[in-house]
Amino acid sequence: MLILLKGGRIVDPVNERDEIGDLWIENDHIVAAQPGRLADEVHDVSGKIVMAGAIDIHSHIAGGNVNTARLLLPEKHQNHLPNPPALPLCTAKWSTFETGTIYASMGFTTVIEPAIVPHQALQAHLELSDIPIIDKGTLTVLGNDDFLLSLLRDGEGPAAVADYVASTVGASNGLGVKCINAGGATAFKYNARTFSLDDVVPFYGLTSRRIVEAMQRAVEDLKIPHPLHLHANNLGIPGNVATAIATIGAARGERLHFAHLQFYSYGSEGEKGFSSAAAELAAAVNAAPNVTVDVGQVMFRQTVTISADVLRQFNGAETARPKKSVIHDGDGNGGGIVPYLYREYDFVNAIQWACGLELFMLIDDPWRVFFTTDHPNGAPFTTYPEIFALIMSSDVRAEAIARLPQDAVAMTTLPSIAREYNLNEIAIMTRAAPAKLLGLKDRGHLGEGGLADVAVYSPGRDLAKMFRFAHLVFKDGDLVVRDGRVTHYRWGKALKVNPGYDKAIDRRLAGYYDHHFGVSRDLFAVTENLLPRAGAFREVACAR
Amino acid sequence: MNEARINGKPALLAAAAERAAEILSHARMPVIAGLGTDVAGARASILLAERLRGAYDHMYSARVFADLDVMRQAGLMFTTPNEARLRADVFLFIGKDLTKIWPAMLERLSPTEIPPFDLAREKRKLLWIAPGRGGAKLEGLAIKSLDSSNLHATLAALRARAAGRPVNCAKRMLRKLNEFAEVLKNARFGVAVWGGDSLDSLSIEMLHGLIRDLNRTTRFSGLPLGNDSNASGVVQTSGWMTGFPMRTSFGRGFPEHDTWRFDATRMIESGEADAALWISAYCAEAPQWKKNIPLVALAPPQTAFAQEPEVCIEIGCPGIDHDAAEFARETGSIVSRKAAHPSQASSVEAVIGEIAKHLGGDA
Repeated sequence: MLILLKGGRIVDPVNERDEIGDLWIENDHIVAAQPGRLADEVHDVSGKIVMAGAIDIHSHIAGGNVNTARLLLPEKHQNHLPNPPALPLCTAKWSTFETGTIYASMGFTTVIEPAIVPHQALQAHLELSDIPIIDKGTLTVLGNDDFLLSLLRDGEGPAAVADYVASTVGASNGLGVKCINAGGATAFKYNARTFSLDDVVPFYGLTSRRIVEAMQRAVEDLKIPHPLHLHANNLGIPGNVATAIATIGAARGERLHFAHLQFYSYGSEGEKGFSSAAAELAAAVNAAPNVTVDVGQVMFRQTVTISADVLRQFNGAETARPKKSVIHDGDGNGGGIVPYLYREYDFVNAIQWACGLELFMLIDDPWRVFFTTDHPNGAPFTTYPEIFALIMSSDVRAEAIARLPQDAVAMTTLPSIAREYNLNEIAIMTRAAPAKLLGLKDRGHLGEGGLADVAVYSPGRDLAKMFRFAHLVFKDGDLVVRDGRVTHYRWGKALKVNPGYDKAIDRRLAGYYDHHFGVSRDLFAVTENLLPRAGAFREVACAR
Repeated sequence: MNEARINGKPALLAAAAERAAEILSHARMPVIAGLGTDVAGARASILLAERLRGAYDHMYSARVFADLDVMRQAGLMFTTPNEARLRADVFLFIGKDLTKIWPAMLERLSPTEIPPFDLAREKRKLLWIAPGRGGAKLEGLAIKSLDSSNLHATLAALRARAAGRPVNCAKRMLRKLNEFAEVLKNARFGVAVWGGDSLDSLSIEMLHGLIRDLNRTTRFSGLPLGNDSNASGVVQTSGWMTGFPMRTSFGRGFPEHDTWRFDATRMIESGEADAALWISAYCAEAPQWKKNIPLVALAPPQTAFAQEPEVCIEIGCPGIDHDAAEFARETGSIVSRKAAHPSQASSVEAVIGEIAKHLGGDA
């Protein structure tokens, strides 16, 4: 099947294109112009914007903690719309089916679930298998697990750590490695109530800094394309900008992805002891080219915070709204589910909202700042269109700022910032840069040979509307969205790495599971024949 | 090979599936009940319910919702069997049925062993409330036990004492409660274990309150033992597919959840449901309702039905006859279970696939 998208504005930063032109798709790939050939399907996209499918690098869409959140809050996702017969469960709110449907209708074609502990990997992949259309991937959470902490405590070398990481990421079918408050969840089991970069995990005598360094090293040694993805210590605490800046320093110039930075951009100035330190933090990021960040933008509405930072979630449970929460001391990280209502008139929430936008605006390089809400922690991903409008239009921003408590606004630099993202920068931030960050060479661009994941938007004054309802979306060359509506399901892949390692560690791990847990390690395997469809995975090469 | 029957007479699987589809698609409100099946079977069942605009329920829903209703009204703190085994310095067991619910519990949690992750590395303390007539005995570990004829009152009094509030009770009882409260407050990482019918929602909520209170100063968590026939796995699968646990209906074309309205037995006895698909792959459990409605059953061969189903299709056991993803009590997570004795017996997923073929499209 040969498809021609005719006369659209092609925005493709990787190939340095921003021009009116044609795009040719043959089967599931983008091909060079085919003069003399007749396309089977021609779409006149003149006046439209053509971009690669968007990639979300950090969105909690699957796994035991997400599912617990669904079960905790039945009253927050009542349904009232029947689904079309061809799209079972697509209107079931917060279902996996709805997740894929909404992402696709916004032009997203790849989404990464960033927090899967190894023992939850099978459930996570079962859930991901039921998310239609988009490709997915998971990051494997390590850094609070006894086997790793014991290796480090006992002074085993980087090779043993790398073997363990490779074996575990491989068994979890993950795409990369994440640390979530490294050591903090374990310290909490020993009754620690705070845990910072240089605090020591009881029983192991290791600091968070030491664990993060070791994990960074393992990721680099294994040539996993995505750098260590870090949820740092002291999330959400006034004055935590100091921790964030220290953490950037702790990366020692090595690659590091710093997740949902907004939650670490707080000062403790002013009468209320809470202020934005986003400008200072953005400057630190600008000065550290080894560091990438995603924002974790807050939007004002009901949401639920879902995090494997169980210590932080336990402390946050006091502010739960509605007043109920789940705290899970799991194997390794565990998790906490705390519903939360971000309110526009709330001093703290208003500053959080502004902090996120300041980071978007003040971090200069769109290749190093990523578009996230830490779904659903800052806001559900369904708010993305509104956020695009906020960063692309200073007028939209000014209107929103005017609604906030002005004493809160005074604690930020946001009103003084005039920057507006252009479409090329949006394409970098949501397409080109995520593909580069994750090592996905086949997507994020519209060049010849790329995967035919393509989003076509209708520009208009209402920027949010433009991004909420894509005009056309192709996944692997298959037209799945017309005028913002999904027409049919197809099933994407889970992207994974398969780093090489010395298999001796597997025998050691088998013995560890038998002895410590008293169960076989095989129980936790992500067995492909248990997933609903064959060919669920696609391997991403480990090489840089 | 698969054995199937239509009205008690041997039939081919294809014919039985066709008849099953006819019965279910002609019903105004079919209900899928039992639902004792692995993740793949649950997934197929929920998609089938969506296609049929029916409801689905699980045979152990009543017990599932004792825990789940507390979680969604008040929250919950819980941990895994691994953490309990390796870390707990204090166990608080509640009820007499624990080892009946989970015969391998003591071996798995190994309360007589010193917990390897505990800093003090002392012998564990085991408190047992309402251990039953046999009493609580364990070789190599002294157990403190507390009889109770009213768990609501006992748990409330214990929570009060742990929080330093007065209670009105007999002196001997007060001494005991104080003793228990002291052990709980001095736990470094305590784990409360409950299950079965011993605790209703009110007692579980009280226990949860106790756990929350203890966490003000120390660490304590819960370990509900859950239910058989992959009840927790069905809750999880239903959760990601529809947003809700079982007792959910597609009668209006979208999932609606209500623990009273979509109780399968109630729907059938009241006449709201007019056909049923009974699924029990793990055990030869038969439906408990009395009313005679058109019934399709997917069950093991030895199942004794009160009334012969119109269609009965024999199925294999997940994890024994075929590989399965299911929720494992021993890990507190969905695990990969290799078939112990692989056989030709069909899985629930495969049989529902056959039925769905006659509904047009695939479920």
